Amino acid sequence: MRIAPKSAQVIAVAVLGAATLLTLVVLVFVIAFVLVKGLPGVTWEFLSTAPKDMGKAGGIFPTLAGTVFLPLLAIAIALPLGVGTAVYLAEYTRENRFTKVLRFGTDCLAGIPSIIFGLFGFIFFVVMLKMGWCLLSGGLTLAIMVLPTIIRTSEEAIRAVPNAYREVSFSLGATRWETVLKVVLPNALPGIVTGVILSLGRSIGETAAVIFTAGSSLRMPTTVFDSVRTMSVHFYILAREGISNENAYATAAVLIISVLLINVTAYGMMHRFIAKRSS
Amino acid sequence: MSETPPVKFSVKNFRVFQGKAEALRGVSLDIPANKILGIIGPAGSGKTTFLRALNRLNDLLPNAHVEGQVLLDGKDIYHPEFDVVALRKRVGMLFALPVALPMSIYENVVYGPKLSGIRKRSQLNEIVERSLTSAFLWDEVKDRLRMSGLRLSGGQQQRLCLARVLAMEELEVILLDEPCSGLDPISTAKIEDALTVLKEKYTIVLVTNNTKQAARVADETAFFLLGDMIECGPTKKIFTAPEDKRTNEYVTGRFG
Repeated sequence: MRIAPKSAQVIAVAVLGAATLLTLVVLVFVIAFVLVKGLPGVTWEFLSTAPKDMGKAGGIFPTLAGTVFLPLLAIAIALPLGVGTAVYLAEYTRENRFTKVLRFGTDCLAGIPSIIFGLFGFIFFVVMLKMGWCLLSGGLTLAIMVLPTIIRTSEEAIRAVPNAYREVSFSLGATRWETVLKVVLPNALPGIVTGVILSLGRSIGETAAVIFTAGSSLRMPTTVFDSVRTMSVHFYILAREGISNENAYATAAVLIISVLLINVTAYGMMHRFIAKRSS
Repeated sequence: MSETPPVKFSVKNFRVFQGKAEALRGVSLDIPANKILGIIGPAGSGKTTFLRALNRLNDLLPNAHVEGQVLLDGKDIYHPEFDVVALRKRVGMLFALPVALPMSIYENVVYGPKLSGIRKRSQLNEIVERSLTSAFLWDEVKDRLRMSGLRLSGGQQQRLCLARVLAMEELEVILLDEPCSGLDPISTAKIEDALTVLKEKYTIVLVTNNTKQAARVADETAFFLLGDMIECGPTKKIFTAPEDKRTNEYVTGRFG
């Protein structure tokens, strides 16, 4: 039996629409669930004071700080390395066995479960290098974890810059490096920012790799050699050890809102940048 | 007949290989200074390859290699010690499709001068006005230099590209690769007007698919076919009394 093209069209629209709707409903439900359960606990006091009694009472201020510092440190380490590698791969080498192996390697790295990175970070940074559980150990570990994402998204973005721009730049007497700085990177920026946002999101939400390397101290960190606890880890510990469901949900709500804010700000900044260049 | 004019480029038995294919098969040609040399020929005849050999833009292609010599003012530009970056500042290029860089009109024009280390605002302003005027674009954009170059029309973008080339202080030669192929007749006329003025100061090599354009503006014309240069001479002679039968057939529109 053959379905008439018109009916097939109707069925396709219905199926695709239903799939989209289902996705949206699940997403909205998850977010709404967390917000409804958590928002009542989010007060200025909750945000601005330190936890008491292992988190059963008090606020989450130190974990808020940890959530800001740790991912930022990770990105600060991974961004120059990742973009540098991507520029090298896309601009300075021709496709050969070495680049293929490198690309395959980064792809494999991207698929490794985060707890393996945590274990590596624990053994290498915490134990072997005697750095202990601290911001720096955690930052380095997370940097290694997000490096593949940054390399691949940056490389794609750099390759997507029209070749004509490069030719114009060269024909005006620019060197390869000047061309990279003045033409390639500015035009690849939106793609690079996307990679950074994905990586930030992953770092903020990470628990396994963080507990192993940055520890879970509830004190306010003052240097990179202090142990920290991020909101994700705090949430995990509160819920896992049954300390306080109420505070766990409140923490989750703050986490979701922060990630949302980061995304909105980053994309907003990017669009401003693009608009400025093409106005 | 006048005596032979000074030679800017002297190309000697020049070959370009792309992989196994030979894109240029031993071209020898003198390019006279302060003249417009038109290069005509059907698609795939090596015109663009020849043009891009003159500022070594072919270097960017993977697995291309060259044989023979290209002398600019008597110096071989393919000599290992020849400075390619300096060469491209002396030999500017206009591409078939206008490519305004995604930055302001002003920044587009000062791209080359800034690379050469010119930083003084007053000097840059002067360069912008002079180049845009020479490219017949100044009056149209003088009030919106901060606007993105991408928002100009195609014809305006091509004149912006010309201004960008003219902004380079070191400039001696202008290479044009079918610069009017995407333009309307009025924009084309503006570019052609600019060229006839510019040849007093620069040497111009114009690749064109439009034989009439060569007849209009070129002082000398070279005919390329399948990687060979068939003949080169004063434009009038090429179009009225060519020596080779194939040239005659091409300029009279019998093939190509």
